[in-house]
Amino acid sequence: MADIMNNYDLIIIGGGPAGLTAAIYGGRARLKTLVINKGTLGGQVNTTREIVNYPGFIQTGGSGLMKMFKTHAETFGVEFLKDEVNDVDFSQEEKMIRVKKGKEFSAKAVLIACGCEPRLLNIPGEKRLRGSGVAYCATCDAEFFEGEDVVVVGSGDQAIEEGMYITKFARKVTVIVLHDEGIMDCNKVSAEKAFQNDKMEFIWNSTIEEVLGKDNVEGVKIKNLKTGESSELICQGVFFFVGMVPSTHFLKESGVEMDQRGYIPVNDLMETNVEGVYAVGDNRIKYLRQVVSAAGDGATAAVAAERYIEELNSFNINVLECDKKVLLLFLDALNNKSLEFSTLLEEVNRELNERYKVVKVDMATKKNQAKKYWIENVPSVLVLDKGQEIKRLKCSLNRENLKSQLI
Amino acid sequence: MSLQPLNSNSFEKIIYDDGESCLVVFSRKDCHVCKEVVPILEELAPKYDGKFGFYYVDVEEQKPLFQRFSLKGVPQILFFKDGEYQGKLAGAVDDEKVSDKITEVLES
Repeated sequence: MADIMNNYDLIIIGGGPAGLTAAIYGGRARLKTLVINKGTLGGQVNTTREIVNYPGFIQTGGSGLMKMFKTHAETFGVEFLKDEVNDVDFSQEEKMIRVKKGKEFSAKAVLIACGCEPRLLNIPGEKRLRGSGVAYCATCDAEFFEGEDVVVVGSGDQAIEEGMYITKFARKVTVIVLHDEGIMDCNKVSAEKAFQNDKMEFIWNSTIEEVLGKDNVEGVKIKNLKTGESSELICQGVFFFVGMVPSTHFLKESGVEMDQRGYIPVNDLMETNVEGVYAVGDNRIKYLRQVVSAAGDGATAAVAAERYIEELNSFNINVLECDKKVLLLFLDALNNKSLEFSTLLEEVNRELNERYKVVKVDMATKKNQAKKYWIENVPSVLVLDKGQEIKRLKCSLNRENLKSQLI
Repeated sequence: MSLQPLNSNSFEKIIYDDGESCLVVFSRKDCHVCKEVVPILEELAPKYDGKFGFYYVDVEEQKPLFQRFSLKGVPQILFFKDGEYQGKLAGAVDDEKVSDKITEVLES
């Protein structure tokens, strides 16, 4: 069991734009909030040299923007821990999280915001020659290829923009594109710039089968997908930009639903299939993966988590810790019959000298409690003793009938 | 504990003249993977105090050093013992990988 210092309201796994925004909202809602982040705060955004579409910032750098997110979260008292989550247990109401350095934490709600990592092609030579010509970050490594020939694999925004950055150093950059001539996955502005760049060349309908070289990269084996033919191209460097995969492997045994690639399906509130667990940003199945949409996810999830926690706390105080037996009434404020019934139930209880405590749950806003007790219709009434269900009432509007069930 | 930076001269002395068992991380300031790897080393270093050296080379300031080992990227951790090169670890590595490699070098 974790000691009391390690108990939180909200734990956010991951400190990219989604996680940090959730931290700002969580901290502002006075939730005891902890962000657990493995590397540098900011996540993938740190690797973006230039951001030109985050509202309010005509042009800014990725890491600068993320520092501002973090400072903002700190002003609301959010705590940060640099560590990696190894293991989770979401089977109880109190969620447990174990980190690599051995510490254990518990939280009422958990937000999964740990982003993505570069996908590997798993072709021969890719791993072996890493750091010896195989690279994944142009900012880090482009300079090592001064005056040399470099191959870039992929045609997304990152591939093309990083490719152009590499032309500042390399003699020639050859881009290997899966699609037909002229078609790339990146934005149009970048594609046009790339086509005009004298140092950029393109090989269409192709992919890479193998990275060649003994101690250092000496070339690549290219496969044309249309003709099936293989050819070799001499180069000293290969940069892979073949997309990302979510870093959600640690959730495999957690019961959180994921698709084949590791993305998590959520509803409008960012709720996963596990109560009190939310997935945001690049960890969820979604249409647009940008800083602005990640921030939106974080805000939504934090507010949803805040309401969930509030519901949980008030339920614990009113129902589980109550000395009297509790009549847990599920109603819908928009349903007249359930309101009428509610009045009757309170009257009957008064006639019985307040033998019970009546606790009302509005189904419209407190879906989680309804789900927990398998309630589908309003009105419904459960009789609880210290949280244990004793019986369910037949919700009749007949006073005597109702009273007889309660004696 | 921050790592001791090396230049060409101190590199020569520590690695070849003294033959110290040690690692040298080649890094640069604006590389995000380096920013993850260097703190791991800083945390690990005190554990090996007196047994295994931890050093740092900034590739922007010490070009001849990375050219000499024909490095093609950062971060890279090079291992040395008795003045001989013992292999390297490239890219994002965790503390376990580094510890394993140190043990291997010390026991070789």
